[in-house]
Parts: sequence; structure tokens; C-alpha cells
Amino acid sequence: MLKKKKGTAGNAVQYLTRNQALKKLQLKLSEFRRLCILKGIHPREPKKKPQGQNKTYYHVKDIAYLLHEPLLKKARELAAYDKKVRRATAKKNRDLAARLAARKPTYRLDHLVRERYPSFVDALRDLDDPLTMVHLFAVLPAERAHGIPAPVVALARRLALEWQAWVVRAHALRKTFISVKGFYYQAEVQGQSVTWLVPHATSQVLPPDVDYKVMLTFLEFYQTLLKFVNFKLYHSLGLRYPPVLDPKLEAAAAGLDALMKELAASGGGGGTAAALPAAAAEAADGGGEERGVNPEAQQRLGSLADKVKELEAEIRGERPRDAAAAAAAASEQQQQEAAADGGDAEAGEDEDFEIDSGDVEGSSSEEEEEEEDDEEEEPAAAAAAAADPTDADLAGGAAAASSDNEEEGEQREEDGERLAGGAADVDADDDGAVCAALFKGLVFFLGREVPREQLLLVIRSFGGEAGWDGEGSPIQEGDERITHQVVDRPTQGHRFLSREYVQPQWVFDSANFRVLAKPSLYAPGKPLPPHLSPFVSSEEEGYVPEYGRQLAALQEAARAARRRRAAAAAGGDVFVGEEGAGAAGGASGGALTAEEELEAAEACYAAELAKELKKTGGAAAGEEEEEAPAAAAAGRKRRAPEADLAADEAAMKDIMMTRKAKKMYQGLKKREAEKAARVAALEEKAAALKKKGRR
Amino acid sequence: MAPKRKAAGASRRQVQPAAAQKEKEAELALEQAADLALSSDEEPESPLDSEDELAGAAASGGSGSDDEEGGPGSTGVDREIENAVLGYMAAVEKRRQQRQQQRKGGSDADTEEEGAGGSSDDEDSQDGGSPAVTDSDEEPPAGRSDGSEDGEEHGGSGSEGEGSEGDARLRQHAVAVAAAAAEDPDPASDSSEDERPNRNTIGDVPLEWYQHEEHIGYDVEGRRLDKRPGNRKDRLDALIARADSTRDFLRTVYDEYNDEEIVLSKEEMRMIQRIRAGQFPHVEVDPYEPEVDWFTRDVEVMPLSGAPEPKRRFIPSKWEEKKVVKLVRALRKGWIKREAAPEKPDTYLIWEDDGKTLDKTATGLTYIPAPKLKLPGHEESYNPPPEYLPTEEERNAAQLLDEEERPQFVPTAYDCLRKVPAYASFIKERFERCLDLYLCPRTRRKRLIIEDPEVLVPKLPKPQDLQPFPVLLSVRYTGHAKPVRSVAPDATGQWLLSGSDDCTVRLWEVRTGRCMRVWQLEEPVSCVAWCPSPQLALFAAASGKRLFLLPSGTGSEEQEAATEAALQAALAAAGGTGSGGVEEGQLVSWQWRQESGGGSGEGGVLVLHKFSIKHVTWHARGDYFATVAPTGNTQAVLVHQLSKGASQNPFRKNRGRVVRVLFHPSKPFFFVATQQNVRVYNLAKQALAKKLVAGSGVITSMAVHPTGDHLIVGAEDKRLCWFDLDLSAKPYRALRYHNYAIRGAAFHRSYPLFASSSSDGTAHVFHGRVYANLMTNPLIVPVKILRGHEVVDFQGVLDVAFHPTQPWAFTAGADATICLFVNP
Repeated sequence: MLKKKKGTAGNAVQYLTRNQALKKLQLKLSEFRRLCILKGIHPREPKKKPQGQNKTYYHVKDIAYLLHEPLLKKARELAAYDKKVRRATAKKNRDLAARLAARKPTYRLDHLVRERYPSFVDALRDLDDPLTMVHLFAVLPAERAHGIPAPVVALARRLALEWQAWVVRAHALRKTFISVKGFYYQAEVQGQSVTWLVPHATSQVLPPDVDYKVMLTFLEFYQTLLKFVNFKLYHSLGLRYPPVLDPKLEAAAAGLDALMKELAASGGGGGTAAALPAAAAEAADGGGEERGVNPEAQQRLGSLADKVKELEAEIRGERPRDAAAAAAAASEQQQQEAAADGGDAEAGEDEDFEIDSGDVEGSSSEEEEEEEDDEEEEPAAAAAAAADPTDADLAGGAAAASSDNEEEGEQREEDGERLAGGAADVDADDDGAVCAALFKGLVFFLGREVPREQLLLVIRSFGGEAGWDGEGSPIQEGDERITHQVVDRPTQGHRFLSREYVQPQWVFDSANFRVLAKPSLYAPGKPLPPHLSPFVSSEEEGYVPEYGRQLAALQEAARAARRRRAAAAAGGDVFVGEEGAGAAGGASGGALTAEEELEAAEACYAAELAKELKKTGGAAAGEEEEEAPAAAAAGRKRRAPEADLAADEAAMKDIMMTRKAKKMYQGLKKREAEKAARVAALEEKAAALKKKGRR
Repeated sequence: MAPKRKAAGASRRQVQPAAAQKEKEAELALEQAADLALSSDEEPESPLDSEDELAGAAASGGSGSDDEEGGPGSTGVDREIENAVLGYMAAVEKRRQQRQQQRKGGSDADTEEEGAGGSSDDEDSQDGGSPAVTDSDEEPPAGRSDGSEDGEEHGGSGSEGEGSEGDARLRQHAVAVAAAAAEDPDPASDSSEDERPNRNTIGDVPLEWYQHEEHIGYDVEGRRLDKRPGNRKDRLDALIARADSTRDFLRTVYDEYNDEEIVLSKEEMRMIQRIRAGQFPHVEVDPYEPEVDWFTRDVEVMPLSGAPEPKRRFIPSKWEEKKVVKLVRALRKGWIKREAAPEKPDTYLIWEDDGKTLDKTATGLTYIPAPKLKLPGHEESYNPPPEYLPTEEERNAAQLLDEEERPQFVPTAYDCLRKVPAYASFIKERFERCLDLYLCPRTRRKRLIIEDPEVLVPKLPKPQDLQPFPVLLSVRYTGHAKPVRSVAPDATGQWLLSGSDDCTVRLWEVRTGRCMRVWQLEEPVSCVAWCPSPQLALFAAASGKRLFLLPSGTGSEEQEAATEAALQAALAAAGGTGSGGVEEGQLVSWQWRQESGGGSGEGGVLVLHKFSIKHVTWHARGDYFATVAPTGNTQAVLVHQLSKGASQNPFRKNRGRVVRVLFHPSKPFFFVATQQNVRVYNLAKQALAKKLVAGSGVITSMAVHPTGDHLIVGAEDKRLCWFDLDLSAKPYRALRYHNYAIRGAAFHRSYPLFASSSSDGTAHVFHGRVYANLMTNPLIVPVKILRGHEVVDFQGVLDVAFHPTQPWAFTAGADATICLFVNP
């Protein structure tokens, strides 16, 4: 038999090095890279590297795929065109240059979007990087030095706004986080978690050692992708795409509002018929007669009405509306208001969304506000309650469970209701509904110094409405409906008694934990409680900071309140309190099993003994420091032979494992140990800090 | 009708080759099909026979060409034919004229009459046909078909001017002659060129014009062609004619234009049949003949023309240029308006199918999504919990580190949001992410996600369930001054022997730990071994180059006596009582032990070797024993027989340094462990049975299972290999659990236990159950780690041995003690 020739099968023919690929495609490296970026082609790692270890390998099929790309031809055309223009300008042939300028070959990337993401879910899965990039470029200066063209920045800004508007409209936001790097957001779109990062609003420093061409190439594709994704999302909501950006509001840096107005108009004016099908089905009585109408025409009409309304408003001047009128407004009037005010439209739609009658809902929220107002009368009491909310809750829960102390129970229930915010009568297990209604009924006023765009996004997607200090705001500072004023300044001069003054972190923390946190903790000028990442799962991390435990307890209470509401609505007596309290207790303290208690008692005894001995010895100084080690030593002594035995057993188990399994086992054990060490270090540090703080 | 005309045109021909006959028959068949609807099957076959007979003559007569006159036939005959034809033609013309006159009346019934007339003619001709055959038979030299002969004869008779009856006959024959004359020399040719000119020259005028005339028209020379009265027959005539000539009647057709009857040949008949069947008229036509592609698309090697490409092919066309200029002008002036292609909308619904995910990518390769970035933890917060912030010390420590080792991200706390600055390396990080996305090779790695590492631990029975095994340190035997090299309990389990580096062999009482007896030898004792024979109370001890066979003094009186007798017998058989060294040519020298002097067996026997012995082992029966001298090279392994006092060297050559040897407990097998591997020799066959490969380390110890099917081998690479001798030459299990080299290995005689001891100061006891069933693998479970010795000078436990009856273990340590571990 003939021996097979080398290099005729396997990895040798399946993979090409980069230089081979360049030769085959007859491209320059920069062009090749550009194409790779656009087509999403990346090097691969062959099992055997026939051309050497330190080379980049591409799959032959990938290269063949590039070879048949229409963009390749376009790239060559562009190169030829560039040459022509260069020549014309060099020869001072102005006519030709001008004529050529009008005939620049254009290309589109639609087909690439479709090729790279055959289904919408695929695109959603890969949306993290595009969103972050677009949000970054939306705030970058259009610098000539770096070749960042202004239209690209404008488009990035526009796409970012469109995306945010959709997130608000669909109440898709789930998690938010203020990081040192920027604002992290996580939205849930069709079951996919999409996370993006928005830089802080301060001006970005453009580092010189970054190849902006590469970034712009990425951005080019990302913008195309995002356009189509936005189109699809808007389409699924029955909205027109692209939405019309209000130039006046955009100029006033109203951000999201510039878009939201139009969306709200189309959503509110067209009724729910054009919006979500589910909502449409629920609001059958309201939108039934309008359903037959062309949604696009509806949108047009809506935007017209919006215009008229705007004009009217301008004529009337900015007159503060009274809260009672707003709450008791008829549905039609509400729709009109919705046309003027995005936040109102959201509220209106939410009322439609609830199956319960809107009137009851409105009154309840009003009552709630009143309650809150009442509570605000005694800030000291509230602060006291907030100081150790877990204890209070725990005590309340325990009392309600053991004795029939009605008052206590009611107090606790009210507490829960207050914590649950606008989402009090929403199914507690339906995270989406809870998110959509969390800030319902709350009206925020944003100070000049807070990041308006970020806060508007969070507040509105969690169901609240907001105004700001500046041009184009739907709500003025003096409005009596305002429940929370978000300020970020050391001292607040004039205070309205009817509203809470909170720092921006309150909004983010509340949103993350689906609970209205204690506003007193976030009062302006006060040191804030730590801001925790919602992306950390306590099991994986193994360590939950203390404030996290407190918030989790509040969250449990709120959930219990929601369940109670649901049970009450169903008409049955369900004891949800115990469950909630139990959960709260578990979360706050960590249930002590009998065994652990025994052990603790023993350790305590040993420590006392040691202390006594020390005292007799006369070593009074540093007894506290000695305390723990002594206890530990006692434990070690007692356990020594057993531990030896256990070690022996462990060693013997090791013997019969295969080498591979043993390696894996040891690796896992090592990782576990590392995690435990990290957690221990954190706990130790926290304890030390606490002690220091107490002193 | 083409055939008719053809036939008519050919009427003046005088030569009638055999082919003419066929044509006649064909015409007949045509007529028959058209008018009488008779099947051709009824056609009589007789003419064919005659045809065949004549074929040879016809062929020789140059039948191919009709223009030829004469041929092989005599001129006299030709003249006769000529006369007949001329006469006949005159008669035909006359008849034709008559017939046209008859027709003058009813033009409507023309065709009917025609048909009837035709048929009657046919009958006539048929009628006249039969005698013609006989005629032809009578004239053998005539090279013509019978039809032509008929014509000739009757023509002749016609010219003679016979009576009315004869007239009728004349008519018939004339038609026949005419038909015969119509023969086509080339039946395959059907081009119009081949058609003969009509006899009649009236042209394409209605024949009824001549209906009432005497003539049917004019010939080429302008003479009248008279109607032939005989051609027009009434029905009766036709019937009679038909009855008369069955053969020709059916093939005879009447040509009204030329006023003649034509008899179709057989060939013509067949042609007609073929046409009617939708086939080619001629048999010779092959519709499927191979096509010759004259104008192929393949470029030939040689061009048709060798001329160089003309210049005009390379220069732009002037006319095209003009046209382009025109178009350009028109475009510029706006005369031509170009419609822009309808542009695709900027965005549209690109994903219509919802919720479906496709596994395949456009390239057909598996899609490897880029890994997502890690989500931020608490430490990345702008206001993290204080415990996440680095302390002052940590910060200082980080400062001292190298630039590259320094943590990338240091948690920082800001007391309010407005104080948070822009993240300096935001763009940089995004850029690096971009680079990762398009420059980093991606592979799909399968990763096992194990939640609980305990699933990796093999499920073994608990040691508690596998009791008994040695657990507790019960007795410590102290007395030796130096590391104890070897221990050996006796078969009763009452006594324990130990050999040590302090040159003593000690006998201990197992239960009490009392040292019963001490043998002081000259050199360090490397190995002690009891003789397994139940009759003897004897043991062997290896010390330097000497092997001592010593009576232990622990047995009964009979045993003592037997031992003494055996030793004396051995020495006597060996024949050496000398006290010198080993003689030339001798392997060993058997001597009385010096100490005892005399010839009594009390002091034991000394077997002096050439090389220092490291190991001694007994055969199960107690007669043979083997010694190992690793440095002995070709004399490394010696097998001695006690009863004969003989020594032999079984191996002439040893591959590698022999470390240990063992006898198989029941079969004639002998295990020889060199440093690298274990060879199993079949002593009965005197051949190598198996070679076991242990591993990389130097083998230090070996033990065989009581059944003899399993072997454990300990090596300096800390590995203990379990060999299943039935299974393979590779270890069934290689266990590595000691921290230092293994020094000793042992199987228990009755309990499923084995143990190994190592320089790390421990001995591991295993439960090693062997099943009689060959399909079940041995079960090996570690049950206990015995720690009783201290490590002295990098030596821990040097030997391990099991009690013969109890689940107890003895360990000999480098700390000069021996430990007994018992089960609780």
C-alpha cells in the first residue's frame, strides 16, 4: 500500500494560517481584519498545528466564506474609487473629484446580520457588546483626531435612546448597578438576559494607544445589528420604527423623554390595541372599537394629538396641576395627559394592565402615599425602625405567629405594604410584573446634579414617573404629587415636607431588591449604606454583606405582603406571615441548629475557663484577643485523634481513585478551600470593622 | 397520387426489371386499402415464388437501371416488347377517351364510378393475371417479371387486334404492362427529380373538361391521347376481373389522369404499409445512426486558421464610442432619465421566524459564541461594603509588587454618586474586548461541571464492614540495637523471628513480647525465614555471604531430633565438612557452623556463598530453598535442597539485578524479580512462563497470594502493583499512596488481607478479596494505616508480615523495634 502523502488530509488541509488566508483572498491585512470583524470570523484552535505553534489559524471554510462575500468585491471597488479620487484631487481636477464624490460606492451589512444571527434569539444572546459599544460611542466626542465621525456618534446616541425607550416601554429592566466603571443594566428580552454598561456621564478620556478604526468597524456592524433588533422589538410592540425624536427635548438633553413622548403618544393614543396583544386582550372593552383601525394611522393621529396638546400647553403656560385631578381623571383625559406626559401614559397603561378596576388601584396608591406622608411626620421614628429593620420585622413576625397580637400584626402588614411599593398587589412570583409596578404611583423629581438619563431609565422602567430640574420637564419642583426628590448635594436648602429626599442610590437599590428601601438611610448628605451588586448570587459568592442581608429581609417582607394581598383578593385566609417571618429570620440571623448551639456553648465555656486561668495568671491585657484562639485550641485538642482518623480515611479514599479523578478532586477541593478562605477573610474583615466602628 | 403519376410517367419504359413487380404489388395494396378495405393478408403469395426464381436472372440482366435498353436479353425480344408497348399505349388512350365521354354526364358520381371502375379494372387485370403466370413459366429465358410478360403477350395480342373478349383481355394486359413500366429503378429515391413526366400534358386542369371528349389529353408531341375504352369497366366487369385474377386485382390502381391502371409492386406495398404504420418509408433509413458532431464545442488543437488575431479585436470600437457619446450627451441633457433602483428600506423585519434557533451557521461550522464578560461583583461598586476595600497594609503591599503582578482593579469607595469620576480605562477595556473578539482563537471545550466533589470518590465498602484487620498496636518487641531488617512468624503463630543489622537473630514469644533466644552472627542479618516443613523446627537466616540453617529449638523433641538428623543428612550428602571458603567450581560450600564445632546438628549448618545474600525463601514443602545474591550476576539465584545438601544454579544468565525470588505455593512456578520486572518460570518445563512489567521503579519486595494467582510487587517509585496472573502481564491495579519507597509487602495466609510497608514510617493494610469467579475483579479496599515506628535515617518500616492464623500484623522498623498490631 502506498503511504499517504503528508499534508493531504486532516488539520493540514482544514486550517490555514493568516498569511495563507491573505494570499488566498488577495487582501491587505487591514482589509482582511475589517472583513473578519464584520463577518464575525475568528481564528480557531486546531488540534495539531501543521504550520507551527505560534501562528494564527483560520478554518478553510471560514476563508471560503469570506471569499464569496459580496463585501469583498465592494471593498475592492472602494479601493479603486479611493484611487480615482486621489488621482483627481492630485491633478486638481475639481469637476471629476466632485462628480466622483457623489458616486461613492455604498454597501450594506443587512445580510451579515442575518447570516450571523439566523434567529432573533441568537442576536439577543450577543447583544451585550453591541449595546455597551453603542452607549460608549453615544457619549464620545466626535473627534477628528481619532477619526470618529459625527454622524456615527449621532446614530449611536439615537440607537441607545431607542433601546432605552423600548426597555422602559416593555418594563424589561431587571437589574441595575452603579459601578466604578459605569452603570450596569440588565434587561430580560424574550427570556434572554442582556447586560450592558453605560459609562459615567463625565467626559471620556480618549487614550492614544487605541486603534479607533477597529472600534469603528465593530461599531458599524453593531449599529446595523442594533437597528434591526430595535426594529424587531418595536414591531413586536406594534410601534413605528424609527420613532420620531423630539428635537427640542433632545436639545434640552431631556434624553429619553425626547423619544418617550412619541412612544407614549402612539401607545396611549392608539389605545392598547396597537400595543401588546396580551394587554389588548385584557383591555377588550377599551380598545375593542379601535382595534380595526390601522395602527400606523393611529400612531399618526396620536402624534398629531400630541402636537396639539403641546401647543395648548405652551399657550396655557406651565400651570401646576393638582394631584386630586390627576388621580381622579377620567380615562380619556388620562390619555390626553399621556400624550403630554410620558410618565402619565405609563401609569395609565399599567392601570389597563391590571385586571382589577383602576379606581380602586388609584385610591389605594393614594392612601399609601398618605400613609407615607404620615410616617414622614415622624422621621425619628422611621429612622429608629430603619436602624434595625430585621429585628423589628423578626420580632413582629414572631409576635404574630405566637400570640394573637392584632395590632402588631397589622403594623407589620402595613410595613410590608409600604415596602412592596406600587407592586403590592402584584403576583409576587411574577418578577416582570413586580418590576413594572414597583414605583407605580411614585413621582420623582430629579435634581440638577444627578445623572438624569440613567435615573429616568430606571424610574420609568420600574413604573414611576419623573420630572427634573431643567427645560422640558413634565413636572415642576413645586408639584404636590412629587413623592421623592432625588438630590445629590451635601445639604438641601428648602425642603418640602410632603416628599422624601433621597440620594440616587436609593432608586437603584430599591429597584434591585424590588422593595422600597428606607429613605432615611439615603438622606442627602448622609453617608450611604453600601451599594451591592445584584449580579452576585449569595451561594456562589458564599458571603453576603450585612446590608445585603438586611435588604433581603425587607425583600422577604415585601414578598409576604404581596402574597397576603393576593390571598386576600382570593378571599382565603392564608398564613403568609409565618413563612415570610421565618424566611426573614433565616436570612437575617441564619438559623442556629441545636448542634451548633451546643458547640458554641462549649467553646464559650472553654474560653471562660481560659479567661479565668489568664486572670489568675495576671494577664489581663489583651484578653479579648486571646479569647478566640484559646477556644480554638481547646477544640483542636479535643478533636485531635478524630481528625487524624478522618484524615486517614480521606487519604485512604484517595488511594483508590484514578489519577485523573484524583487531580480533579484535588482541584475542586482547592477551589472550595480558596472560596472558604476568601469568605473567611471577608468575614474577619467585616467583624474587625464592626468592632472598630463600635469603639 | 404520386405513385400513380410515377407509374404513369414510367409507362414508356421498355425495360422492366424484377423490382417493377414489387411496385405493382404495393400499388395494389394501396388500392385495396383505399377502396376495398381488404387486408393485405389475403394477398396471394404465389407471385413471390416466381419472383424469387427470376431474381437471379433479373439481377444479371442489369435491372438496376431503367434507362438501359436491352441487356442480356436478345434484341428480338426487345423489339417484341416495343411493339407490345406501343400498341398498348394506343389502346389505353382510346379507352381513356371513351371513359371521359361516359363521365361527361355526372361529375358528382365521379369518384364512385372511379372507384367502381378501378375495382372492375383490377378484377380484369387479375383475371388476366393467372394465365400470364403460366405464360411466363413457358418462357424461361425471359429475364422479366411475369407482369411484364403478361403485358408483352397481351400487348402483342392487342396489336394483332383480337375480338371483344380479347379486347378486354388486351385492356387488362395493357394496364399491367403500363404498371410494369412504372417500375422505379431506385425505390428508395422519392425526390421529385426522379418522377417521370406524365404521359398526359394537359396540366392541372379539371379532368371533367375532357369527360365527354374522345381523348384524355395530349402527349408531349401534341398528339391526342385517346381514351381507352377497356379501362372503364362496369361493376360486372370488375367482379369478373376480380374473380379471374385474385393476385393482381388487389394491387391494381387506376390512374384517371393518364387513363391507365397501375399494379403496385410488393415493395411499394410494403412502403405504403410502413408509411401507414408511421415508420420511415424505406427500410434503409436508420433513424438512430450514430451522430457525427461536425461542429463540436471542443477547441481543436490545430486552429482552422493560423492567422494572428486582427488588430480590430483589440482596439475599442469607434462606432460603439460614438454611440456611448450620444448616450452620455442624452444623459447629461436629461433626455434619458435613469430611474434609481428602488432602495431597500433602512430597516425592516429581518427575523420573521420567531423563537427558532438554528444550529447550523452559514459556513456549516459549529458556532462558538464569544464568552461573555464577567459580571461585576460587590467590589466593583462605587460604594462597596467596607470589607471589600483593601486595607492600608494591603494597599502598601500591592504598591511593592511589580507592575504586572499588581491587581488590575482596586476597589474604591466614593461617598456619593456625584464624586464618581469617569473610568479612565473604559475605552481601553472596550478596545481589548474588541481585540479578543476578532483575534483570539476560539475552541469549544467540554467542561465537566461537578457540583459536589464527593461524587468523584469511588464508592467502596466501609472499612468497618470489612473487619477483622489489624488496628491496634498491641505489643512492641524491643531488644534489637539496630534496624530490624526482617521478621517471620512461625507456622503455629507462637514464635516470631527477627533479623537485624546488629548481627543478631532473635526469637520472640508473640503474645508476651519476650525474647526467647538470641543468635549472634558475624554480619548484619538481612533475612530470616522459617522452614515450612511441619516435621522440622528449623529456620534460615541470611547474613552477609553466609546462610545459616539453624534449629530454632522451639519444636517438640521429635522435631528437634528430626531437625538435627536432617541437618546431618544434608551435610553428609553435601560431603563437605571443610571449614574453608568456597572451592573452585563449586557454587557454595556446606559446612557446620563454626560456633557449635563438632558434628552435631545443634549449632546448625552454614552454607557459604560467594556473594552476599540478601534474601532467602523456602518452598512450601520445606525441602528446597532459594537464596538471592543481587551482586552475584550469573550466580545470583541459587536453589538448594536440604535433604540432599545440594545447590544448583538454575539460571545461567540473569537479565538485570535479581532482587527477590519466590516459590509458587502450589504449582511448580518460580518468581524471579529483577529490579525492573518479574519473570515467572515454569520449573517443570524449565521455561519462562510470563514476564510481568511493574513500572519504572526498582522492585524492592514481592508477595504471592496463597492461591498463587495474584502477586503484589512493591517498588521504590512508591507504587504497589497488583498483578492478576491470569489476566495480563500489566498490573491490574497500581496504587501509589506511600510517600517514600516501599520496603515490604505481604499477604495474609487465610484472611483477605495484604499490607505494604514503606520508608515513610507507615504500613498500609488493605482488604484484598479474590473471587473464585474469573469474571469478577479482585476487590481492593484500603482499610488501615498502621503507624507504630519512627523514621530513622530515612528508613521507616522495613518489613511487614502477617500472623499465620490471626488477623494480626508484624512490622519491623528502622527504630530497632518490632510492632504487633491486632484487631480489637
